[in-house]
Amino acid sequence: MQRPNWAPDDIDIERPSVARMYDYYLGGSHNFAADRAAARSMMEAVPDAPLMAQANRAFMRRAVQYLIDQGIRQFLDIGSGIPTVGNVHEIAQRAAPDARVVYVDVDPVAVAHSREILDGNPDATVIQEDLRRPEAILRHPDVTRLLDFSQPVAVLVVAVLHFIPDADRPQEVLRTLRTALAPGSHLVLSQASDESRSDTGQRAEAERVYRRTDNPLWIRNRAELTVFFDGFELVEPGVVWVPQWRPESPESAEDAEQAIFIGGVGRLGG
Amino acid sequence: MASDDSVGETAAGPRHSSRPGTFARAWAKAVSGTSYLPMTQAQLEALLQRLTERLAAALRAEPFDPRVGHQVGAELVAAHIASAEGLGRTVEIIQLRLIRDLGLVADDVEDRMARLLSTVTTGYARALRDRTLDEQESIRRAAMMARAQAERALRDSESRFRHQATHDPLTDLPNRTLFTERLTAAIGEPARGADRVGVCFLDLDRFKVVNDSLGHQVGDELLVSVARRLRLALPEHLVARLGGDEFVILVERTTRVDDVVQVAEAALAAVGEPVRVDGHELTVTASIGIVERPVTGTTPGELMRAADSTLHWAKAAGGARWSLFDPERHRTELARYALSAAIPAAIDRGEFFLDYQPLTSLRDGTVLGVEALVRWRHPELGILGPGRFISLAEETGLIVRLGGWVLAEACREAESWSGGPTPAPFVSVNLAVRQVHRPGLVQEVRALLGRTGLPPERLQLEITESTMMSTAEEPVQALRVLADLGVRIAIDDFGTGYSNLAYLRDLPVTELKVAGEFVTGLRAPTVDPASRTDERILASLVSLAHALDLTVTAEGVETAGQADRLRAIGCDAGQGWYFGRPGPADRLLGRAPALSTAAVGADGPAGV
Repeated sequence: MQRPNWAPDDIDIERPSVARMYDYYLGGSHNFAADRAAARSMMEAVPDAPLMAQANRAFMRRAVQYLIDQGIRQFLDIGSGIPTVGNVHEIAQRAAPDARVVYVDVDPVAVAHSREILDGNPDATVIQEDLRRPEAILRHPDVTRLLDFSQPVAVLVVAVLHFIPDADRPQEVLRTLRTALAPGSHLVLSQASDESRSDTGQRAEAERVYRRTDNPLWIRNRAELTVFFDGFELVEPGVVWVPQWRPESPESAEDAEQAIFIGGVGRLGG
Repeated sequence: MASDDSVGETAAGPRHSSRPGTFARAWAKAVSGTSYLPMTQAQLEALLQRLTERLAAALRAEPFDPRVGHQVGAELVAAHIASAEGLGRTVEIIQLRLIRDLGLVADDVEDRMARLLSTVTTGYARALRDRTLDEQESIRRAAMMARAQAERALRDSESRFRHQATHDPLTDLPNRTLFTERLTAAIGEPARGADRVGVCFLDLDRFKVVNDSLGHQVGDELLVSVARRLRLALPEHLVARLGGDEFVILVERTTRVDDVVQVAEAALAAVGEPVRVDGHELTVTASIGIVERPVTGTTPGELMRAADSTLHWAKAAGGARWSLFDPERHRTELARYALSAAIPAAIDRGEFFLDYQPLTSLRDGTVLGVEALVRWRHPELGILGPGRFISLAEETGLIVRLGGWVLAEACREAESWSGGPTPAPFVSVNLAVRQVHRPGLVQEVRALLGRTGLPPERLQLEITESTMMSTAEEPVQALRVLADLGVRIAIDDFGTGYSNLAYLRDLPVTELKVAGEFVTGLRAPTVDPASRTDERILASLVSLAHALDLTVTAEGVETAGQADRLRAIGCDAGQGWYFGRPGPADRLLGRAPALSTAAVGADGPAGV
């Protein structure tokens, strides 16, 4: 984080990227050998890893649909990764053609890829920034150009916080974001949890795999994630296993704890 | 063929689908979770219902059309049902349930089913392969773009870094680094026809006043404005800021010094334009040192030192002007500098020594005292008189050390003169302003007297009027203590300086030494009006001194006539070539003073 502004990022495709590993879990081919090798190691340790990625992706889809139904038309998706299958702007703009979306990611390859996908879409763009620099995100010209912070905005920090250790002060980051938001804005959070898992070996192995990336894992439980909604009113059903969050059918919420991810949606009152 | 209604399927065509039937729902369930499907379960079922209808139609169609299977396979992939598991389960469910759930009947149904599955899997595999390749290409392109962007950012940052390293942040002018690079290149690798080079070293006059009175903010804005005006006025030359209010202009490919003079005049004009800074109308001037010379035989350092000296000449001449480098003057200054730098080591090596000049009584011709005069036996330049180095030592502050040495040496030598038949003369030592103003003078003199055993009354300290011009109390206090000890205090060069008689009231002065220029007038015939004026001044000074109980010594006495007239006035003592040139103590004290009227002759003061 202390890298000087003028120092460019290093592009090293020999190093696994969490964005491309996630793409692999989702069945995509936007990944390189190093990403696949790391993802396969992860799947050996945690065979449900693809399922959890899918469940998390489905949670995001339902959350965006919910937000559209609430009248939200502006989305700030921080840690968007490789927005291939079922990305926010597709879901949002299909439901509401006037919806505007700004993606934020720290991974330069993910950003370059997003830029290609969004080429020609005047209402969606991507910037390269770090969640840990919320002020830089909020004052980025592309963000201020596309999003009107005097109107409600949905901020999505989905499947990202488990890469942010407490030392990086995620709560302060979220507070900074919150203070920029108008009443009626929403916050969508999800992250890996190990509350359901008694097998600590799995967690240790998962942590070992992610140490190969730039983003080591930082697991949190439900109480810890709930704290991040400070200042927001949690929308029903609160912070839950992601398949339990407003499921489309009762069956789809079965074995929800297998999903490993917990998540929720908060609304800024006032 | 079974009734379509029984299973909720319809053959109405691909454009219009009915509600998902049993088969489509089972299919949807089978492929759920095989990969991420960006749709709701209902949307998935609707999609699969549509595909089910097409498969059913294909099974019935005559003749069998393989393209339908290919399309269904491709559509599955397009809908992201695009995993190995997704294909496996699709094949399984079609094989197991399609015919049964749809109630399809045909003679060759098994045969048709085999062909249908073959075409679906073929279409699926083709589409998945294409999609995989497309995605690989797309992510590789993204990596390349990201890398290209990173490299561009690196280049940008390098050039930005280079700019930062070579430019002054305040004015954005090139800085010393870039200037030195360009000057070094101009001298080291001159282009064809660029065998001469010039620089203008520019410094604002009294810039400190602006800074001190209007604040640094205004000072900085003024510098920015000066920088802008210089750059505009001299677009074809490199204008750099070296720091502070120092700017330098590199003039390449000169043919003669006039080329650089023109640049300097343009620069002075540009700087001199009135400018409005923060509500203040400011007009500043500048001084410029100009050096122009062939590139061969010079170095950047030498050129810049020359320009720096030249700038100081322009400053010393009052500023708002340029000065041209003068090698002779530069050499002199360098020599002076070298001389002053050599003083401390010369003291350590014992290169200084003292000569003495007698202060002779006009009444009886006895040598009352001697003035110590410092000499430098320079290893290369020979013996140097005080005129060559005292002012340098005063400028640099070395005078304190050198003066201390002179005082100590004079006391040491003078002590050895006693013991003769007549009283030994006192020794008179000049004290520089800095010595007088230094705390610790009293202790120094007291310690010297204690160490050498010289009686205090045989030491005379000569100070100039200007030494006393300062209003500081400490020097007066120190001199008073010394006078109380018995040390003689003389005012040197009396009558040429400030001549404020008030200090005579405060100071414990013993003697006035009247400057030689009054004495010079006495050489002329007494009828010369100027000479008479000098004589009257001298007479007044003598009567004033006597009224205050002071003795008077006239300096610069060169003739017997002058001595006679001084004696007639009542002057107490004389010093000058007529009485004796400066020389070593033994020679001086061993021979008679050349005094025409006094009958001391060879019996002069005691020998050593």
